[in-house]
Amino acid sequence: MSEIKLTESAPTEDNGEEKDWAAAKAFFDNLKTNKPRPPKPRYAVTIAVSSRTLFNMVKERKVYEDEGLEKYVAYQMEHESEPLMPGAAFPFVQALMNVNSRLRQLYPDSEELFDIVLMTNNHAQVGVRLINSINHYDLSIERFCMTGGESPIGYLKAYMTNLYLSKNSDKVTEAIEEGIAAATMFTADTDNELSKTQLRVAFDGDAVLFSDESEIIVKQHGLDTFFEHEKEFENKPLAQGPLKCFLEALGKLQRKFIAKNERLNCPIRTFLVTARSAASSGARVLKTLRSWGLEIDEALFLAGAPKGPLLQKIKPHIFFDDQMFHIEGAQQMGTISAHVPYGIGQKYHKGKLIEQPPKKE
Amino acid sequence: VGVAFPLLQALQRVNGRLLEENPSESLLFDVVLITSDSQQQQQSSRIISNTRHHGLEISRFCFSSEEDFTESLLKNNVHLFLTTDRDEAAQASQKGVFSALLNGKVASSEQLRVVFCGDAVIRTDAEPPSASQDAAQSFWAQLGEMRRRFGMLDSPLSLVLLTSRGGRESCGTALQTLRSRGVNMDEAYSLAGAPRSPILSLLRPHFLLINHLED
Repeated sequence: MSEIKLTESAPTEDNGEEKDWAAAKAFFDNLKTNKPRPPKPRYAVTIAVSSRTLFNMVKERKVYEDEGLEKYVAYQMEHESEPLMPGAAFPFVQALMNVNSRLRQLYPDSEELFDIVLMTNNHAQVGVRLINSINHYDLSIERFCMTGGESPIGYLKAYMTNLYLSKNSDKVTEAIEEGIAAATMFTADTDNELSKTQLRVAFDGDAVLFSDESEIIVKQHGLDTFFEHEKEFENKPLAQGPLKCFLEALGKLQRKFIAKNERLNCPIRTFLVTARSAASSGARVLKTLRSWGLEIDEALFLAGAPKGPLLQKIKPHIFFDDQMFHIEGAQQMGTISAHVPYGIGQKYHKGKLIEQPPKKE
Repeated sequence: VGVAFPLLQALQRVNGRLLEENPSESLLFDVVLITSDSQQQQQSSRIISNTRHHGLEISRFCFSSEEDFTESLLKNNVHLFLTTDRDEAAQASQKGVFSALLNGKVASSEQLRVVFCGDAVIRTDAEPPSASQDAAQSFWAQLGEMRRRFGMLDSPLSLVLLTSRGGRESCGTALQTLRSRGVNMDEAYSLAGAPRSPILSLLRPHFLLINHLED
């Protein structure tokens, strides 16, 4: 993640920032409720979620699409005191909150925590219902941007976002192009029982953790060439993909548990779920991770088998993949999936080149 | 051109749109240029012709002495006094004139963007309001009414709430309090201690209204 540079002269701006931070800290510390205060953004792992991923807003969305913005806002205001139902990212957010409480137990003074930000281009008047809903579930979300229609991308950077989840693939694509890990969330078709004590995150390998360089070889030259290539370049690390930094952030927090002898009881577990096979093309992947100093808890090589059944056993709170084919497979078997619109996989569906409409200017 | 130039253009655009909606609209922005600087006063005719030249609609020019400065503001029934001079603003505020600092680095946008730092909105209801707070409330009520003349999309003005210190509940309560006073915010940002300047540079306010100038 690039550093956000302040363009003002450093001393006065830092003073202002420190004053704000100190005042916010005091505000939360003085609350009668034991509400945990949000961490300092500079040290936190910031997850930005959109309103439609956090809550189920299908009905409301329909009002917007059928009747327009004004009717939609009026509808939301009418139903303001009715909490919204949980959305695709809801279990993920709860899992993040659980990790935070474990971290706070072990490191009461640390700011290295998950910070959950609501990033929506909803109108502020709709925001009241969103805030009421967050209150209803007592989610640890204290920061938000309700941009009233403007793109959230700039705000993502201003918050030093480590991961952005949205239902809108255009916004997600834009975020990835700006170097922010992002994915489009899809709800699962059935409800799997997800862990309440451990955050479980599953990643595809190529074009998610790694670049799409090998994916390109498969699509353009076929599997045999791919296998040969991967064997030949086994010791050359793959280039990084859009979600590598998020895995890195998770690793940083995992190490804090390991440092306190909590490895076996670690509330974060990561999975690699790849179509590669262990025998022929798997080594390069593991060696790449090692060269980056990253660990993944479980690496599952499917050698082309469908991912759905395995994911159903793993039960991750979120599964990242670049190919819609895998997303759909996972969805059908009850896994909450997030599509990463990156790389050559976007031009293909089930191995066939998609007809691209002429690019809109 | 000076710091307030983009602001004046944005104000004029709002006026233009208000008159489009209703040619006999009376709730318009009225701009008064005031100075107590004697040098500037000597240049008064130049200043006046310059403003005309740049197409700025300024209804009144006020040349006063330093002592009568705030008197002039009150006499002219000024709802909001903008200056780049912090002392001037504090002085006027003490006498009950709602004042704010003009942001020197604002990026101009077509839309008039008014950002309100809402951390103090809740407090004002608890304590007896000062003269300056009354002035602030009256300004906001008028601004709220002006905003209602336009729809949600394509409005020439946008009202933005920013809370820096409290959490989501503070911001939520501020939204509802403002709504009860007839001010419907378009955008809301709760920082809860996160750094302000990256967000402010994205918000591009023409002016930033804080309840207490000590901030």
